[in-house]
Amino acid sequence: MPNPIITAWTAISPYGYGRAAFTDGVRTRRPVAAPGVVADFDIEARLGRRASPSMDRTSALAVSTVDLLLTEEGVRTDERTGVALESLAGSNATLFEFTQGSVIRRKPHLVNPALLPFSSMNSAAAQCAIWHGLRGPNATLAAGRATLPTLVRYVTRLLRADRASGMVVAGVEEYSEARALIAPYQGAGEVLGEGCAALFFAPGNWNRTGLAEVLATRTRLADGEPERALAATVREAMAAGGAEPHEVWGIAVSATDAAGYEMEREAVGMRVDRVVSPGQLIGDTGAAGGAFQVAALLGLADGMEDARGRVVLATSVDRTGMVGCVVLRLTGGSEGVN
Amino acid sequence: MTRTSRRRVAVTGLGVVSSIGTGPAEFAAGLRAGRSGARPITVFDTTGLPLNLGCEISGFEPRKWLDRLSADDLPRVAQLAVAAARMAVDDAAYDRAELAARRTLIGVGTSTAGTDSVERIAERLARDPDAGVDEFEARWTPAVGMSVAVARELGLSNVELATYATACAAGNYTIGDGFDAVAVGDVDVALCGGADGMSRMSYIGFYRLGAIDPVHCRPFDRERRGILTGEGAGMLVLEPLDDAVARGARIYAEVLGYGLNCDAHHPVAPHRDGVTACLRTALADAGVAPGDVDLISAHGTGTLANDSTECAAISAVFGDTPPRTVSIKSMLGHTMGAASALSAIASCLAITEGFIPPTINHVETDPDCPIDCVPNHSVAADLEIVQSNAFAFGGGNAVVLFGKN
Repeated sequence: MPNPIITAWTAISPYGYGRAAFTDGVRTRRPVAAPGVVADFDIEARLGRRASPSMDRTSALAVSTVDLLLTEEGVRTDERTGVALESLAGSNATLFEFTQGSVIRRKPHLVNPALLPFSSMNSAAAQCAIWHGLRGPNATLAAGRATLPTLVRYVTRLLRADRASGMVVAGVEEYSEARALIAPYQGAGEVLGEGCAALFFAPGNWNRTGLAEVLATRTRLADGEPERALAATVREAMAAGGAEPHEVWGIAVSATDAAGYEMEREAVGMRVDRVVSPGQLIGDTGAAGGAFQVAALLGLADGMEDARGRVVLATSVDRTGMVGCVVLRLTGGSEGVN
Repeated sequence: MTRTSRRRVAVTGLGVVSSIGTGPAEFAAGLRAGRSGARPITVFDTTGLPLNLGCEISGFEPRKWLDRLSADDLPRVAQLAVAAARMAVDDAAYDRAELAARRTLIGVGTSTAGTDSVERIAERLARDPDAGVDEFEARWTPAVGMSVAVARELGLSNVELATYATACAAGNYTIGDGFDAVAVGDVDVALCGGADGMSRMSYIGFYRLGAIDPVHCRPFDRERRGILTGEGAGMLVLEPLDDAVARGARIYAEVLGYGLNCDAHHPVAPHRDGVTACLRTALADAGVAPGDVDLISAHGTGTLANDSTECAAISAVFGDTPPRTVSIKSMLGHTMGAASALSAIASCLAITEGFIPPTINHVETDPDCPIDCVPNHSVAADLEIVQSNAFAFGGGNAVVLFGKN
């Protein structure tokens, strides 16, 4: 079966709502205030009264973004459409509220039961399925900052094995005081951000033009310098995808600071002028970072004649030593958004 | 990838840490004897809670299973995962250096790894706002940590690796992905399963939902009142059947296929139609007719809603004479992300050792659960095909089928 393809994407980010807003922000490298929160994101205003008042911000961001995705051209859903999300450890704010509700009571079991479903790490993926009637596989994967290649690998395998007719793939992270307390110990960037980027993956026999073909993904756990492991991973992924260095049009790195940016850029080992670093634009979006990397590449390439048919890379380095690389070929199938 | 063009996949190693036994031999003996893992909870503070019964692991010695990592550097859930993974690789008699040279998938399923660290940070701050963030817990909040620990202990670098946070169906999600990864040739070996430690907030949450049985866990019984929370880890080694035969490995069972779907219905309540569709998908993927299934290792949590919904789905697919359907949660409690991994291991052991584990604590079968749950005592049986069910909060369903090799 031919390689799966990405046929649509969108984002809710500190740059605003929808792919045009995100694309504009990335192209103009517009700075955002710190922390990088999504302005005016009110759950009830966005989702209406159908949303539980207890719904966590992470789930609400995911549901809202998938809502936008499903209106994009290039999305076709049916009974076998699934959802796969990236996660670090669920909604920290909801976990804090749920736990503190127990500790302050003389009867510690009298917590707010309405919070329980939203304290689970798979809450956002489940809510996306429930809101949008997506009955295919419903997965939540955690691989730190290297979740993107892991998730793309997982989703392409599901599609190759015909376990879904298409997959909604998203990264989502909320900003909260709770996350701000914990993030420094997770090796997070100095400036935190939040948001959700969502992509639609279709099987390779999809009979319409998509935006990008998934050529290859590779991951590795560095047993020494992560830079060397990443370099090896990029070489392997490029070879596995049949891509040549001269074909590379752009790279998205996972770094949130200058040192990490340079390291990933060096490790790629080829001269590429166009390097985008969403984590340095909108802040460290934790589990959403990988999906924002792909969104940034697709946003930059949108409507660009010289990008058509070229290759883009998304590289990942996690503080655990997990490194990875996703290699995509741009098909240039969509019209410009501007 | 059609069913006929994929590689066949064998289970060649099992690793278990559970409240009824550690290691596949002890675990099998516990299942056969109908041992109960229920005991008073000691791993978290139960002050003020009306009940304190859970299926906790006693006498677990993580140091026995750790060469490269130090037990002091790992939270309990990672200790459990690493121990089970080490055991599974040893059990598969896979040479460690040879394993390191292979492309491997490591997938550990979980409900609470990571989030329980967030909860312990929150608990400490709620008790003393000046206490500060517990740095050890904070470092372990990303759920991927325990899967990385497995790779580090085994010295594996050429890996695909993730923690599958698909709640109570997580074990089957990892086994399914491991199966596909081996079947399509993405990896040479898959080390997959699940792990969860006892979690105070998980216990409190289920209690608040009225889903904890105050006496014991009695799935399918007329008087059942809920789950007992439990802890454990189960890991399986999957490899191509041809490779397993070539290296003379012991083959517990073959993974025949699996099915995944989502109810897309309700955050906590199971849904008959979703479960039914998942059972059918799994059977079709495995190329198995319902009449050929010899045993179902049920999700069987012991809640009113789960057991009657699950049995209704089984009736819809298997008709009036379903295969014998047992719940090992009657013995182990609900081990959350580890539950379906332990159920998978029990299924493999049942096939290899020729017995059906019982559903213990059983007095009278609920008319809403018209199945033979093999009450209280295991029975000898020659099993060709065993099905293992898992259903999660959020409506995620995952069903795996194992066959005798």
